[in-house]
Amino acid sequence: MLKKRLIITLTFLDGVLFRTKKFKPDYRYTKNFIDLFSIDELILIDISKKKFSPNFLEIINYFSKNCFVPICVGGGIKELTHADNYFQIGADKVLIGTSLINEKNVVGQMVNKYGSQAIIQSIDIKKKDRKYALYSNSGRKLEKIDPLTAIEEATNNKVGEILINNIDLDGSLLGYDIEIINKLKTKANCPLLALGGAGNWQHFTDLFFKTDISAVCTQNIFHFTEESIISAKKFLKNKKINIRI
Amino acid sequence: MTVGLVNIGMGNLGSLSSALEKLSIPYKSCKTARDFSEINKIILPGVGNFDTFMVNLKKRKIDKVILDLIKKDIPILGICLGFQILFEGSEEGNKSKGLSLLRGNFKNFKNRIKNLNVPHTGWNQCKIVNDNKLFKNIKNNSDFYFTHSYFLRDNLESIVMTKTDYSFQFVSSVSYENLYGVQFHPEKSQHNGLQLIKNFYEVC
Repeated sequence: MLKKRLIITLTFLDGVLFRTKKFKPDYRYTKNFIDLFSIDELILIDISKKKFSPNFLEIINYFSKNCFVPICVGGGIKELTHADNYFQIGADKVLIGTSLINEKNVVGQMVNKYGSQAIIQSIDIKKKDRKYALYSNSGRKLEKIDPLTAIEEATNNKVGEILINNIDLDGSLLGYDIEIINKLKTKANCPLLALGGAGNWQHFTDLFFKTDISAVCTQNIFHFTEESIISAKKFLKNKKINIRI
Repeated sequence: MTVGLVNIGMGNLGSLSSALEKLSIPYKSCKTARDFSEINKIILPGVGNFDTFMVNLKKRKIDKVILDLIKKDIPILGICLGFQILFEGSEEGNKSKGLSLLRGNFKNFKNRIKNLNVPHTGWNQCKIVNDNKLFKNIKNNSDFYFTHSYFLRDNLESIVMTKTDYSFQFVSSVSYENLYGVQFHPEKSQHNGLQLIKNFYEVC
């Protein structure tokens, strides 16, 4: 049976690994202690103003040479040649931003060249007047379409996976918003990934039990504890989650 | 002994090169028909679209070279789309036929099973049906990384090495004489994947 995935998301500011809170750089890490052999997948995101800088490309190259799991890379992709930059240096997939949902031609070019499985569409959401709304430009620009329509559009664009990125919960450690994920899943027929809110391992279990999510993504919690990813996976396995150890 | 890594400019070969380097396996990136001289084994990776892939392969006349080398008993390992094109065809490729070295056609998971996420993406187990040296030192039901929308389920028992369950059992790897094909990505499957690539180089 297909396993549930635990994906580590790392954000980089000018080539330095950072933790973020509500999409803003919050805390700088001095050490990079990723347990490369027990993660299922890696997402690397550049949050620097200047994208495609040599120091970020060097980071992609480092991970591609050292960890033999799928690597997804995001940050600043507006056209095909931007994605080319990441694929050429070792990305297996690219993460494209909310603003590209309406750029059907651009997404189409990427799907044709690299295949659906290589494109993850990010759907960035946060609450506005108590209702979730869709945002682009790192959470700064309110989009006209609502999150459910965004999922439909992304599906029409034939992306391989969709990442639900909850801006309100980013760095909050409060747990995932299960209700919105279930609602959005009704419109998605490709694997759905969730990011934003994980504060402890029970949050993963809750999400896997209560939604049909394919993968949980986390940015922070491994950095707050000494325990490694393998301990998190053992915890999930004990809770009867079908996960790779 | 040198592995020829078929490179027709589609997708990411970085991870395969990294895996070969990690295992200290000498390889050569083969972009044209001429690059295949002095090659002892072939790895045929593939991502993207079936038709586009076949068109690019033919444009560079690499299809003919591969067929010639296979006749000369050179072992070949097809990965993902590179595995699929060893067969006759796919629902994805309505214009192109595959290399037709093996019998069978690939079908889309979509619409066959309700509520099934497509592509089939993530880590899944390979159940060994017929033991083969490609899986030497790899335990039965080991996890490998998959990402694909098309599957093979034809009745080919004698050539099937492993099967994998995604609502039903599909063929996840085959071997026939010097032909080897895997639907998953060994270069993305950590220890098990590296072991499989090592086996292909050393014992196949």
